[in-house]
Amino acid sequence: MSFGRPGSSSILQVNPPDRGSFPLDHDGECKEMMKVYLKCLKEHGSASTPCRGVSKAYLDCRMQRGLMQRESWTNLGLGEETNEKTSGQPS
Amino acid sequence: MAAARARHAQRNRTLLMYSTATILVVLGGTYAAVPLYRAFCAATGFGGTPKTAMGQFEPERLHPVTGARRIKVTFNSATSDALPWKFTPQQKHVWVLPGETSLAFYTAKNTSNEDLIGIATYNVLPDRVAPYFAKVECFCFEEQKLLAGEEVDMPLFFFIDKDILDDPNARNVTDVVLSYTFFKARRNKHGQLEPDAPKDVVDASMGWSEYEHAKSTEESSESKSS
Repeated sequence: MSFGRPGSSSILQVNPPDRGSFPLDHDGECKEMMKVYLKCLKEHGSASTPCRGVSKAYLDCRMQRGLMQRESWTNLGLGEETNEKTSGQPS
Repeated sequence: MAAARARHAQRNRTLLMYSTATILVVLGGTYAAVPLYRAFCAATGFGGTPKTAMGQFEPERLHPVTGARRIKVTFNSATSDALPWKFTPQQKHVWVLPGETSLAFYTAKNTSNEDLIGIATYNVLPDRVAPYFAKVECFCFEEQKLLAGEEVDMPLFFFIDKDILDDPNARNVTDVVLSYTFFKARRNKHGQLEPDAPKDVVDASMGWSEYEHAKSTEESSESKSS
């Protein structure tokens, strides 16, 4: 234990995120969905609200491919959004 | 005469008791201050330590406050010189509402020709926003291994707690900066992976550069034995 040091004993124990870490998408399986989301952000002046449907679709893509733990949408705050899959999304 | 002396003796004894008690309480307080301060920092996010979770977020907290003013979250990235990775945010900023969960992306590319493990640290500015900045899921603090030449997208799912609107200090903040720093990972003597950089560099990446640090006991015992 270090004396007088802010935070806890190990740097890495300070503040883990709630659900942990996203596994890395080594094969780029959800890359297309990410591009759709970034395009949506550009179109709406980087506002997050109009693109929440797309972010839901991205997280759904991750969950389907085992790149994210299955979680109910209300726990992620996306319960009311419709899952928007715009054109150009590969199946 | 004797009665007055007895009274004095009694008063002196009482005074002695009170003084001793005060000294003991103050001494105990100074010893308790260190763990208490640490607990305080972890619990309240003092100094830019993001308060990520006390466990789980209740779903009721995760509703956007539609009438509120949007907050601009700007994304910064940095890599340690020892790590030959190209690490950039995919969007310069995002305008979010308090209580609204939002997605953001970074991309990391391993430009060297060996597989490397990186570890990211994280900081939120201004400090007074940190207790309200909550990460639901991200890519930090756990090792991330990139194969030689590999490029990967790293998402980050976060929200700003709507309680920020109740905090007179923080409610007028419209600009938040999120900084991620990637370090090369190495194993420390406990076998855990940690950032491969001097302690002050890692601390600075987490926003502790303004504070004086005492030497850690591990460092001082090493220097004593060497």
